[in-house]
Amino acid sequence: MKPVIALTKGRLEKQFLQFFQYLDFEAEPLLDKGRKLQIETEQFSFFFAKGVDVTTYVENGIADLGVVGGDTLIEHKPDVYNLFPLPFGQCRMALATKADYSWPDRKNRIASTFTNITKDYFREKGESVDIIRLEGSVELAPILGLADAIVDIVETGTTLKENGLVIQDEFLSFSARLIANRSSLKVKRDQLVPVIERFKEGAKQR
Amino acid sequence: MFLPAGSQDETGVQIANRLKASEIFRKVSEKRNFKAISTPVVEYAHTFTNEIAGMDLQSMLKWFNSEGEIEVLRPDWTAAVARAIAKQHQSFQKWSYQGSVFRMDKDGTENRQAGIEIVHADPFLGESECLLTAIQYLKEIGLEEYVIELGHTAIFEQIIKPLKLDLKEEEALRMAMHDKRMDLVEELLSNYPEEIKDALVQLIDAYGGSDVITHYEHVWANQPELLAILQHIRQLINLLEATGVSEVIVDLGRVKNLPYYDGIMFRGFVTTDGSTCFSGGRYDRLYKQFEQETSAVGLAFDVDQLALHMETKDSLTKACIIATPETHSIAEKYREDLPEDIVDIQYHVHNEAIYSAIYTVILDNNQYKVVKR
Repeated sequence: MKPVIALTKGRLEKQFLQFFQYLDFEAEPLLDKGRKLQIETEQFSFFFAKGVDVTTYVENGIADLGVVGGDTLIEHKPDVYNLFPLPFGQCRMALATKADYSWPDRKNRIASTFTNITKDYFREKGESVDIIRLEGSVELAPILGLADAIVDIVETGTTLKENGLVIQDEFLSFSARLIANRSSLKVKRDQLVPVIERFKEGAKQR
Repeated sequence: MFLPAGSQDETGVQIANRLKASEIFRKVSEKRNFKAISTPVVEYAHTFTNEIAGMDLQSMLKWFNSEGEIEVLRPDWTAAVARAIAKQHQSFQKWSYQGSVFRMDKDGTENRQAGIEIVHADPFLGESECLLTAIQYLKEIGLEEYVIELGHTAIFEQIIKPLKLDLKEEEALRMAMHDKRMDLVEELLSNYPEEIKDALVQLIDAYGGSDVITHYEHVWANQPELLAILQHIRQLINLLEATGVSEVIVDLGRVKNLPYYDGIMFRGFVTTDGSTCFSGGRYDRLYKQFEQETSAVGLAFDVDQLALHMETKDSLTKACIIATPETHSIAEKYREDLPEDIVDIQYHVHNEAIYSAIYTVILDNNQYKVVKR
């Protein structure tokens, strides 16, 4: 059976394809896939899913390898081999508030999609906060008064700036990563190791 | 009514396979002179969370008893068996157990295990007997396609020894090795000697067939402690291969996943889907909490996993006798004539296709008779 690779839909998908082509793998069927969620190439079976679902599929052995953002791995801590960074999808975590915001004299409220990362960050700082979980458009929370601050992923910082938010602190920087199922890596090593090595070499060069 | 997450009902074939797997395990272990042991399902948390056993209380099913002590549903057999047999005479003992463990960090809350523990034995004998028992058992339940993986806790520990890391640093490094996370291993060791960092980074990829051992025999030619470990692993592989095991692999970069592991570690993967069918290893350390310097090694099978991989076919033929309330007793008596079959008695049959033979009770010369249709 061909190696099965789970890819994160959206932003990482395009960057992965560029990298994949750069490594001289056959990428043709992936380029015009339309809305299909599963694509076969000569060498691999691919499927596309949301980042956190990629980790779930890899953890459960449905996919042998996965390409996923480092943020997802830190947030969800799946039980997989978290092999190495890939040369795309570079991001950071940031704590942001409204410009000139003065923190109120009470326990602060922090909105985030990354509740575990937020919890760990404030624990490390020794500060108790209440965390409000949001699914998206986190920037709205401080502006509309739902939270004092947000913890969110930033690539360039443009979204924050356009919404009148200012970065107060930056922590954790990461990129996309290659992950592998714990037993696939051993049982299918003859198939997987050459692929992993090519990814590793490519990642070093870029 | 609903079930809590992680709980599951079971029916038919699933139960039959699991019971069959248990029965074969009982026979195999009995024939190899293992003595059965059972520990209670409810224990003090301390048995598992003490400094040496080191398991995580968070993932256990627990409550306070009336004295305010924390009790748990058995999360692990090995620590429980160690507690139970610690007071016994220190002579060669082989124990076998079967029963559930309960953990919240696994797929199902309840996980049925069957396993063995060998204590106070010659170390190599104990390890060999564990693995050979596993091989015989897998053969007898008909699971043929599997890979056995060997690793050793002391490889990582020996390599990092000169670094004199504190506990927190060592644990972070161990986790990075556990995840085979190359960049983090490099980062954690960025202020340490280059050759140790490189050795560990390369160790991440040190998995595969016995050619990996051959390679590392050269790499570690001047490191007698590491060479001795390789020799030990090779000796085990030779033994396993001589008994006809299809595939044995090593992962020299594997670190312990349970705090009490202390020496060789083994694991069995089902080749077809990569699921783990057994795991175990050496844990002499576990007995130190009872002031015992001894040799202890064991492994446990995931019986739920094994049951999933067993043949689902019914080996018996299924017959149906069609009767009426008046002739039911005649049909019941006829069971004796079909001792090898599964026999169902019905008044009306809706789906004849599920039976391989159908009988009816007829009246012949004022006498009831059962005839095949």
